[in-house]
Amino acid sequence: MNDNPANEVTGVKEPTKAEKVAEAIAERFPEAEVQVKTNRWGRERVWVRVPREKYRELMRFIKELDGEAHYSIGIEQDWGDELDFLSHVVIHYGDAPAVSLLVDVHAPKDDPVIPDISEVFPIALQFEREGMEMVGLDFEGAPDKRRLFLPDDFPEGIYPLRLDDKGVPEEMVHNAGHPYYLKGGAKK
Amino acid sequence: MAMDVVGELVYPTVGLLGLYAFVSLASLVWEGVDRKLVARMQRRIGPPILQPLYDFLKLSSKETIIPSTANFMFTAAPGLALATAIALLAYTPVGFTPILASKGDVMVFIYLLTLIGFFKILGAISSGNPYAKIGAAREATIMVSREPAMMLGIFAIMWRLGKLGVDKPFSMGVFYVHNIWEIGTPMSFVGAVILLYVFTVWLASEIEVGFFNIPDAEEEIAGGLLVEYSGRYLALLKLTNAMKAFISASLVVAIFFPWGISGYLNLTGLSANVVDLLFHTLKVFALLFFVESVFRAVTGRLKITQAVDFLWKNVFLASLVGSLLIAMEVIM
Amino acid sequence: MTKVEYWVKMPFGPIHPGLEEPEKFILTLDGERIVDVDVKLGYNLRGIQWIAFRRNYIQIMYLAERMCGICSFSHNHTYTRAVEEAGGIEVPERAEYIRVIIGELERIHSHLLNLGVLAHDIGYDTLLHLTWLAREKVMDTLEAIAGNRVNYSMVTIGGVRRDIDGKKRRIILDMIKYYREVFPGIEDAFLHDPTIEARFRDTAIISKRVAMEQGAVGPTGRGSGIRDDARWSERLGVYPDLGIKPVMPQDVTGERPRGDVFDRMAVRIGELWGSLELIENALDAMPDGKIKTFPKDNILVAKLKLLVDGEGIGRYEAPRGELVHYVRGKKGSDKPLRWKPREPTFPNLFAVAEGVKGDQVADFVVAVASIDPCLSCTDRVAVVQDGKKKILTEKDLLRESIRKTREINSNIKGDPTPVGSSCSR
Repeated sequence: MNDNPANEVTGVKEPTKAEKVAEAIAERFPEAEVQVKTNRWGRERVWVRVPREKYRELMRFIKELDGEAHYSIGIEQDWGDELDFLSHVVIHYGDAPAVSLLVDVHAPKDDPVIPDISEVFPIALQFEREGMEMVGLDFEGAPDKRRLFLPDDFPEGIYPLRLDDKGVPEEMVHNAGHPYYLKGGAKK
Repeated sequence: MAMDVVGELVYPTVGLLGLYAFVSLASLVWEGVDRKLVARMQRRIGPPILQPLYDFLKLSSKETIIPSTANFMFTAAPGLALATAIALLAYTPVGFTPILASKGDVMVFIYLLTLIGFFKILGAISSGNPYAKIGAAREATIMVSREPAMMLGIFAIMWRLGKLGVDKPFSMGVFYVHNIWEIGTPMSFVGAVILLYVFTVWLASEIEVGFFNIPDAEEEIAGGLLVEYSGRYLALLKLTNAMKAFISASLVVAIFFPWGISGYLNLTGLSANVVDLLFHTLKVFALLFFVESVFRAVTGRLKITQAVDFLWKNVFLASLVGSLLIAMEVIM
Repeated sequence: MTKVEYWVKMPFGPIHPGLEEPEKFILTLDGERIVDVDVKLGYNLRGIQWIAFRRNYIQIMYLAERMCGICSFSHNHTYTRAVEEAGGIEVPERAEYIRVIIGELERIHSHLLNLGVLAHDIGYDTLLHLTWLAREKVMDTLEAIAGNRVNYSMVTIGGVRRDIDGKKRRIILDMIKYYREVFPGIEDAFLHDPTIEARFRDTAIISKRVAMEQGAVGPTGRGSGIRDDARWSERLGVYPDLGIKPVMPQDVTGERPRGDVFDRMAVRIGELWGSLELIENALDAMPDGKIKTFPKDNILVAKLKLLVDGEGIGRYEAPRGELVHYVRGKKGSDKPLRWKPREPTFPNLFAVAEGVKGDQVADFVVAVASIDPCLSCTDRVAVVQDGKKKILTEKDLLRESIRKTREINSNIKGDPTPVGSSCSR
């Protein structure tokens, strides 16, 4: 639509909103890896990989960029040797398209500590609680470390979404007898 | 002496038992009719008309669960509430002068009517359930808000009708000697219309429908007062509620529409009473159709604070104005 | 003199007549006033993400669809978008229009359902039956198009499965005509009824600040004045061409947003009209052409194995708000390494738990219904049981239910065990 100057192709290539945000972050955080990826239908997303020491500072910076920044999802996952917490933040949604920003922070498995950002985005606390119980991340300084989804009598030290031996052991699985279950099928 | 025993003990007792049997049946049938009518208004099929009766019979035979946190009053309250309702029938105008009508029995009527609510509250707070306790608190709150308007109205009417000359002032029989429309002045006519409004709202809040379905709010507090009751206790409470609706409606009918048809049919004695009772029941059903069925089909429930506000600031004030209007020319 | 507080903690749920699905709130009450709300999730946990570790891309489509009945299309659609982004797969234009049509039909049925639930929660059952009667029409339309009232299975990676031909088009146009007659009545009942106004106005106010902090989305966010709609801010598919814009409460009520239950309801009513318009526009603008990139599922599986390498985000405005799916795949693997959905109810639930503080117990159930909670979506993560209790497996449950059926009616003939060996239970 033509009400959006960011998307118009002019003679001199004007940086889009996403590129401006990427530039601002790269300038402020030289140690962060910032790239703008465009998908097949032309939607740009800014992917930022940041060391965990700078994570909280980056989130504060994003909040400064747009005071109305919307924290939409925190994704905890197991990369094999590292645990990862990926956050999707939508900023500058005053006019379409909004800037879709993904902030990735990794932590080694033997020291899975990531700073808590619930003072910047209060809702992030709930995703962190999920991350703590599901893959065993530890959020330093999180004000609420209780379980969110798992029942209280779920055994300690088992993290259902871990892919290593801290995940759900086979003897706990009662009914997953799907033919695509790779490790030997159901427990009858 | 023997004649006295028959006249003062046996006849009233038999009459009361007969009345009890009739009213409990009629009130349960009305509940079925009400459910059917509301269902039709909402484009549903609705349950069979005798469904509340089936429910009552089935509940009576079901297992009764008593929570471990409950104390003695939990089991005693439903029986006491029903007993109160039966006793109340002896003072209820049901088309003819009540069985035990005497001077000043309006006090007994009001006392027994609120006692039913009191026993329900007592049973609920004895169950140990937090939802029941919230329901009990709501019932108590709404009870003290709805009764003053009714009491003011009924005393004013009784006093004014007493001035027209009756044997037993402040008795429920007064309504069948003189009625409120007979006073005759334009002022009193306006007052009577206002009081009719007051009594209809009071009736709706007494049977807790529409705006006033607050103490038993199913979606909010899971049934409130009745949450822990099951089996025959629930059956007793359901019957009590149905009878209470009939009795409360009877009061409004007796005040505002007391006319019987036995006079036109030249009937006397027992047959006159039966015909009047049946006609009265029809009038009760017609009144409840507007106050219960239509009202609950076109409204939702209010919050307790809003309901209390409404009952004091609107209904009580209306009652005050109405009472003054019908009493005016006697005072001045 | 110190004031003594008589605070009571009361569990609200997991099973409660006011909640449609099991979820637990612990209310701290001061009389009727709510002092604090604590949310405990997980009563509907089915371990969908854990199951997804063992499913390939196509199978997860069905899994996503079955997370929740009401927003089954949204989940499937958003997951598909995420995979398409990760794999760089293009979607034919006609398929984009069909996606819009199904998505908006789903929005209509979801919003009508929620309006009915709101009315029911204040004991206004006549409105419940009014809206749910109207809802039957869109359910019938969806059944005529997709073959199912819920779980439409319309979307596939790289397109849609079924076309909308002339006959189906006529059914949809019929439905639009019906709703143009019915909606004014519903709108009038909800916006101008005194009971509705008394109960919904200034109830469970979520201020713009709280909505922002708790990340409220969809009608909940817009009701509080956050002007965002994922269809619009994402410039999703063909939505910009169809004239999408966020519906704000002031568009419907004419007053500035207050963030109460009434505003959230008003947004939904506005979106009902918006959806009708979008469907009409989409039917008019729909070009001819093919509806999927890969004609057969087996080709799709093979292609996905090669194409998907990296991460993808899908964002879509489900009826309840912004829905996000994340998919990470690796070349050579036929299943995603990680799939995580985030449902709109998740942040909204925490927003409303903040917003309802200070209100009465009577407001709580209305407040929860006003965000249109979809709790089975929210509880999606791993469910695995410890060894302490005896856990009934699917087989046991089946056996128990057969036993019960026989007990109730011994005349039933036939063998209820599932036929076929496609899935070794």
